[in-house]
Amino acid sequence: MGKNNSIKTVWIALLIFLFLPFILSAPLATEMLIYSLFALGFNILLGQTGVISFGHAAYFGLGAYFAGIALRYFGSSVWTSLLASIVVGGVAAVLIGALSIKKKGVYFAMISLAFAQMFYFLALSALKKWTGGEDGLKFIPILKLDFPFHVDLASPYPLYFFVYFIVALSIFAIWRILESPFGRLLQAIRENEERTEACGFDTTMAKFISLVFSGIFSGLAGGLLTVYLGYVPVTTLFWMTSGTVVMMTILGGMHSFIGPVVGASLFLLLQDEISYLTDRWEMYVGAMFMALVLLFPEGIVGTIKDKIETKRKRVQESQWVGDVS
Amino acid sequence: MVDFSVEKGQLKSIIGPNGAGKTTLFNLIAGVFIPSSGRIYFDNKDITSKKVHQISQLGITKTYQITHVFPRLTAFENIRISVQSRMSSFNFWRRVGTFSRINKKAEEILTLVTLADSHDRPASTLSHGERKYLEIGIALATEPKILLLDEPTAGMSPAETIEATKLIRSLTDQLELTVILVEHDMSVVMEISDEVMVLNEGSVLAQGTCEEISCNTIVQRVYLGERNE
Repeated sequence: MGKNNSIKTVWIALLIFLFLPFILSAPLATEMLIYSLFALGFNILLGQTGVISFGHAAYFGLGAYFAGIALRYFGSSVWTSLLASIVVGGVAAVLIGALSIKKKGVYFAMISLAFAQMFYFLALSALKKWTGGEDGLKFIPILKLDFPFHVDLASPYPLYFFVYFIVALSIFAIWRILESPFGRLLQAIRENEERTEACGFDTTMAKFISLVFSGIFSGLAGGLLTVYLGYVPVTTLFWMTSGTVVMMTILGGMHSFIGPVVGASLFLLLQDEISYLTDRWEMYVGAMFMALVLLFPEGIVGTIKDKIETKRKRVQESQWVGDVS
Repeated sequence: MVDFSVEKGQLKSIIGPNGAGKTTLFNLIAGVFIPSSGRIYFDNKDITSKKVHQISQLGITKTYQITHVFPRLTAFENIRISVQSRMSSFNFWRRVGTFSRINKKAEEILTLVTLADSHDRPASTLSHGERKYLEIGIALATEPKILLLDEPTAGMSPAETIEATKLIRSLTDQLELTVILVEHDMSVVMEISDEVMVLNEGSVLAQGTCEEISCNTIVQRVYLGERNE
């Protein structure tokens, strides 16, 4: 992951997002922000640490539900509900991590999927009385902010800029974490876990903490979804949501910082455009995703970075030849 | 069944036919395997059941026979992360560039293993010989008291081997390391070892100085003789 280059891409992305609700629509742009955060949180674990989870809907969905529960049953403020989503994301990651982080590769992926499905069924039937089951958690009161100043969150543009503010802060926080000594440790684990351990690092603890950070930001994204939608759909816990975040991240490029943002935004844009044209949008988006992954395994951002790098090397080489002659 | 010890500041070589158990011995010392019987002591402390990363923190670091680096990270970062292992990495906020002591140390080691020119190159693009040097650099960065070198010159050209041999001996003296070296190349072993141990089929066949070992007839038959065939 580039060091100083990646912060530039963050500034560019945030600049674009300032205008995006006016170019596209406020709701679509809001979703892009929310899923960008989800994908960035997910990528702390995948792109940076090299651990694949098939159950990240657990953190996203629990974050969404707990925000909704706080708003509906406890009459809490929006700030408190988002805090609840952060806390539940972290706690869930602690619990799931404690039980599974030592498992390798595909075993961890399957256990994470199992946990997420467990939460899904709890929400769908066992705890139906509280969660609304299949219909999702509805009847959340009209949302607004009173502190530090009044914001009407039922209106699309104020809502958008509130989400923008939270997501921007989160992106900077994630960037700082990934650029810290801890972030570099995660990279080393991704590149060669055995060697990292041999250098004296407790890689199990590092992976565990990576999962907790990942759960926190994914949970926050879920909470923001609840604030945006005004209700909590049960699909937030469904395995397809776990699959979607994987696709978004890989589409954008998991080995760059901004990749997940690009992937999530593009995925949602494609979904939006193609669903106008046909009911079978999932098939087309899926096929497009497959083609893109086969042609550009490093994702969109990764491929662009590689092309720039190759061009730069060619320029360097031709200059060197020029000097000799 | 192996019973041996190393003195501080020694460079001890372990030789023996393939399958004799040399790398296994390293893995036991480094904590990758747990011995089925017997104990391992370092500085009078029993380290037999300690985990790999704990043993590294105590000061024993091994290198790998087949280079085991961080492929997509630059040569500099390969070493820098290893230097970082000596401080607590549970720092989530300060940017890595601000740790000047660590960066300086990493630069020094990179230069020490003659890879300063490859500073920003991904480790995967390094030549075989360069990667072997990087391998040593990553191990040195952990400030080891005991360095376990597993066939550091394997696959190197004769010229590279001579350079590497000189480097290993000078590093041992300069940094006051204790080194245990596994080698197949007898010229390397004879050049720099203080003591040699011969392993065969999991047991110690002989121990002694270079002269003693090369004059030992049993060793000649089993190992050096084998090599002439």
